[in-house]
Order: sequence, then C-alpha cells, then structure tokens
Amino acid sequence: MRLEKCWFCSSTIYPGHGIQFVRNDAKIFRFCRSKCHKNFKMKRNPRKVKWTKAYRRLHGKDMTQDSTFEFERKRNRPQRYDRINTEKVLQAIPKISKVKATREKDHITKRLSVGRVNRKREDRRELEQSISLVKAPSVLKEDATLTLPKQKVTVSYAQTENTRMEE
Amino acid sequence: MAARFLSKSSSGCSLLGALGTSLVGVGSVARETTSKFNCSDIFFQQQRTFVQMGTNLKVVDNSGAKRVMCIQALKNKKGAKLGNIIIGSVKEARPRGKVKKGDVVYGVVVRAAMQRGRCDGSHVKFDDNAVVLVSKQGEPIGTRVFGPVPHELRKKKHVKILALAEHIA
Repeated sequence: MRLEKCWFCSSTIYPGHGIQFVRNDAKIFRFCRSKCHKNFKMKRNPRKVKWTKAYRRLHGKDMTQDSTFEFERKRNRPQRYDRINTEKVLQAIPKISKVKATREKDHITKRLSVGRVNRKREDRRELEQSISLVKAPSVLKEDATLTLPKQKVTVSYAQTENTRMEE
Repeated sequence: MAARFLSKSSSGCSLLGALGTSLVGVGSVARETTSKFNCSDIFFQQQRTFVQMGTNLKVVDNSGAKRVMCIQALKNKKGAKLGNIIIGSVKEARPRGKVKKGDVVYGVVVRAAMQRGRCDGSHVKFDDNAVVLVSKQGEPIGTRVFGPVPHELRKKKHVKILALAEHIA
C-alpha cells in the first residue's frame, strides 16, 4: 500500500480513491477525485489553477523549502522489515506532521501579517480624516473622548503660522 | 453504471457533440436557452464503454496487423474489458506479417479507455483501445509488445505478454 499524490492538486490519494490514467508514453497520472481528473481532461495547467498546491507553492502562498519535507520523499527501494525501526517511524510520523503543520501555519500568518498592519494603519488614517462625516467638528471639540489622542508632530516654523491662521 | 447504459453507443455521443457545436455556433442567446446542462459538459464527459462488436482496436505487437475490429467479446454479454479476450477481424495489416487482412484472430485487450477497477479500490484507464494478437491457446503471435500494459494480465494468466512488455502500468 502506498499513499500517492494527486497529479493535479497534490493532495494524498488514499487506497480506494481516485482514478489512475496511463498515457501511451507510460506516464501515469493519478487523481484524487473527479474534480482533478476533469480539470486534467480540460488540459488545465495546475500551476495556473488557484486552489492547487502547485499554484500556491509557485506563488509563495505556501511553504516550499523546509527540512520536514525531507522525511516525505518517495523511496523506491523496499526496506527490510526492522521492528525497532518501524516502531520509531510510527512514533515519529505524528510529531513530524505536527511540526510541519505549525510551520506552514506560521508561514501563512507571517505572509498575512503585513496586510493586517496596513489595514490598521489605513483605518486609523480614515478615522482621523473622515471623522467629520460621522460627527460634526464642533461636537468633537467639546467632547475630548470622541477624538483620537493627538500625536506630537514636529513641523517647520512656517507651517505652524498657517494653521493658526485657519483656526 | 446507469449513465454508461444510457450512452452506450459511440454514435450517440457524437450526435450530442454535434448538437453542442451547432448550439454554440448560433450565439450567446442560444446558450442562455439551454437551461439544464452546459454545452461544454457534453464535450468533456465522454462515456467510455466496453469493447464490443464493431470496436476498432489498435494492434500493439509485431504480428503484422495494424487494426482489428472486434467481432465478438468472449466471456461477457456487454463487452470486453481490460484483460479480456476478443475475436477480431483484421482490417488493416502490414505487407509482410504473420497475419493478413481479413483474418479472424483472437486478441487480448491490453489497453482500454474504459476504466477497470482494481482490487485495492482504485481505477485505471488508458488512452486508447489496444490489443495483442494471440493464438487460441493464449500464446502471443508476435514477439514484441509496444506501450504500457496493465498488471491485470498476470491474474488472467497472460504472463508471456507481460514478459514481452516494455512497461507494466
């Protein structure tokens, strides 16, 4: 029994699932479900189809280089059964997959954290600039709690003259 | 399985395909009126069925024949699947070969476009329908086999063909 990878979406194919297509040049394409198979028949390139692992890895959405991937490489040489080795491997598999999952999650969080900071900055700027759409400026001046705390910004002497004139 | 019975003949598929093309040619208005199923679905979901009487198969050994038309599928009323034996009539042959055009020969289906279930639950399908000519006893007539062959042949006791094969799928 061997767990294969779907040619299109790179998910694991468990025994009893999917279709195996053998092309006349003896290249075997395995598909996990009919969705992937139909996309293949439509001659779609998995590197261009957004939900596949191939696309995500290519566009840096998912982790590509990591030491945990070394454990999952395909080995074609059959190993002689060694009980101690098998036990160790069976104990190690959940640990490795847990480490891999946390690392992948961290990779995605790190990628998305830039967006979070930007969004927060934009929200703050919008609040400062467009608060007059929500509340009249006169009300804001009376009640100090409705505005954001003012930040000290150093400006040149000429600019300060101008603002005093506007008020 | 029910779907396979519905579109059994290949002529039915081509008719639907022709209908699809004609509808697409008319314009976007026609596409809106075809409510239930998309024209493109008919193109991509080709129902593959058994190798039956009239099926043309490619011959992938060096026996001299090039194309064989199935005249009888042994062992199954519906038709032959991957690994079954058929009786065929040679339609096209190479000039100096062991078989001539018009010969009635036995053949083992080594590649079938219809998927075949394996004992582990998965399915295999090939790109085309191909056959290896065989004597009545099951010995291959040719001495070479081209292209991939499935390992279903081992269970069907066609071990000689597996031995000659260049790739076992």
